[in-house]
Amino acid sequence: MRRRDFLQRTAAGSGWLLTYNSLRKGQRLLAVEASPAAGLSRVEARYYDRLPDREIKCRLCPRFCQLGDKERGFCGVRENQNGKYYTLVYGQVASYNIDPIEKKPLFHFLPGTMAFSLATAGCNVACKFCQNWEISQMRPEQVQSRYLPPEVVAETAAHYNCPIVAYTYSEPVIFYEFMYDTSLQVRRKGLRNTVITNGFINPEPLAELIKVVEAIKIDLKAYNQDFYTNYVRGELKPVLESIKQIAHSKVWLEIVYLVIPTLNDDPKEIRQMAHWLKTEIGPDYPLHFSRFQPMYLIKNLPPTPLSTLERLRDIALEEGLHYVYLGNVPGHPGENTYCPNCGQLVIERYGYTIKKISLSGNKCRHCHQTIPGVWS
Amino acid sequence: MEKVRVVIIKSRRALAANGQPEPASMLRMFRKGLEVLTGSSQAEEALRLIFQPAENIGIKINTIGRRAISTYPETAVTLGLWLGKTFGCEDKIIIWDRTNEELKEAGYRLSRSEGSLRIMGTDSYGIGYGSQPVINRSVASLFSKIQAELVDSTISLALLKDHGIAGITGGMKNYFGAIHNPNKYHDSNCDPYLADLFEIDLIKKKHRLTILDALRVQYHRGPAYHPQWNERASQLIFGFDPVAVDVVGWKLIENLRAKKGLPSLSEEKREPTYLQTAENLGLGLARLNNIEIIEEEV
Repeated sequence: MRRRDFLQRTAAGSGWLLTYNSLRKGQRLLAVEASPAAGLSRVEARYYDRLPDREIKCRLCPRFCQLGDKERGFCGVRENQNGKYYTLVYGQVASYNIDPIEKKPLFHFLPGTMAFSLATAGCNVACKFCQNWEISQMRPEQVQSRYLPPEVVAETAAHYNCPIVAYTYSEPVIFYEFMYDTSLQVRRKGLRNTVITNGFINPEPLAELIKVVEAIKIDLKAYNQDFYTNYVRGELKPVLESIKQIAHSKVWLEIVYLVIPTLNDDPKEIRQMAHWLKTEIGPDYPLHFSRFQPMYLIKNLPPTPLSTLERLRDIALEEGLHYVYLGNVPGHPGENTYCPNCGQLVIERYGYTIKKISLSGNKCRHCHQTIPGVWS
Repeated sequence: MEKVRVVIIKSRRALAANGQPEPASMLRMFRKGLEVLTGSSQAEEALRLIFQPAENIGIKINTIGRRAISTYPETAVTLGLWLGKTFGCEDKIIIWDRTNEELKEAGYRLSRSEGSLRIMGTDSYGIGYGSQPVINRSVASLFSKIQAELVDSTISLALLKDHGIAGITGGMKNYFGAIHNPNKYHDSNCDPYLADLFEIDLIKKKHRLTILDALRVQYHRGPAYHPQWNERASQLIFGFDPVAVDVVGWKLIENLRAKKGLPSLSEEKREPTYLQTAENLGLGLARLNNIEIIEEEV
């Protein structure tokens, strides 16, 4: 099967079954075909402490789950088995697709390229508005998975000419070991790694992850703890710390903020957030305001009004951020990149499609202002 | 306020020399427990007061601890067979838990045959979980189709254990095994999640009876098995009020802990506060002075 055919088959809906069937029919995907049946893996987890009486304490994310024998963490995919902690999802891929990198969204990272994107079951938060709850809020035995070990992921991405592998959809932090090892294999193939995450991870594992990936997109769910408590079941502060840690590394960073009407769309808070971002990480990391669609447990609210998105974008620009985008509004000028110096259009987008790039290397073609990002 | 009745049935012959429950003793304990609980002199009549003849009855057990610390097959199967015999159709009785693997490792022999007791996990072929979350207050979960669709009424035949987060695990927490995401509901001593879950009609309206298996009680460092803190208590605890039964189980665990010189659960900051929350939701009574505890020995 040619890559174009594959994409045509998977473009609409990008559902697991469609992709799965498409790949099954692919004659050249021998590695995938030959893989053993999916189930629960049993690979020792990293970042945990052994405690007396066969208990363990997980140090991967700020929950620090302390678990007795046979118990699983909040994520549902890491289990204490007789005092040893295991990840149950190593290589157990519940969803994979080839997506434009703009879908992540990463707008300043190899625009117009495709990312081999994958996820396992599980998540370390429980957002009431989750778009992928059918895998993120499940235990691995409750979803259909396919065994794709790290080398197969790298081979498959290369085979389909995807220069990027994206760990996404559910929450890659919870399949850390698989993501980390896959990243090494991906790099060996000359490809690049991106992580689409909630940023709810401890500094130590994040520091190691930063060494093996090229870009991270963080979903900042709100700029107040109450929202994190009531709608996310997480904490804001560690996410802000992760943002700072990534921004101070060599990894490219973008931030997405899903705007949910009446819940996290207070202009005052958005102004505070934009101010914090500019102060702590500078004006050059893109911030995306995405449009909410009623989903999962929040079906009683309407989609975000366009006027709200535009207003919040204006606020962030007023606060001095250089690259503020709107998402899930195809055709809106807020999808485009404008040079902060001369104001000219440098990347024109329509949804996930790149229509025009007016960059010369990493500089605006009009005024030669450097546009930060990873462009080649 | 009228007190609710909780019945403790003890038997020195509950456990055989090998430490396993003795089925004949189990049956005697079940019979006595239901007679005392209902005030009936006939155990079968007691069953008929609780269940309708045409109902499919689920016996929800707890097998997460495998053979070492699960609801004993000798206990659950004895109850299932007795129910089947009383109502004349064994295959209307379903002994169940989350997974077939856990059931097998706990010593159960799976069965879905017509005419015989059904023993199966939610992950059995063709079963699984519902496709849309059921939402109540803090909880949003997919329900096992066994609980949601296959059974009309349920018995929570739970193993009584100390629990490092919840304080205790008993009849109410047993229903965590009926949803797909219990891992999301262990924060803050499982409070208010356990009460919120039980309040859902799929549980509240189907739940008829709690029987706590307190034959051997893990009174410390639970829910995992640690033989040094596992005590032979040789009793079953019966009640219609799901909160009151767990309160009596909690008291038993506290007594065992005190006897062994261990701090109370509240001193360890893991008092099962979800029981009071459950009372606040009208699910039962959580104060000991509102509970009439009757102890008998067989």
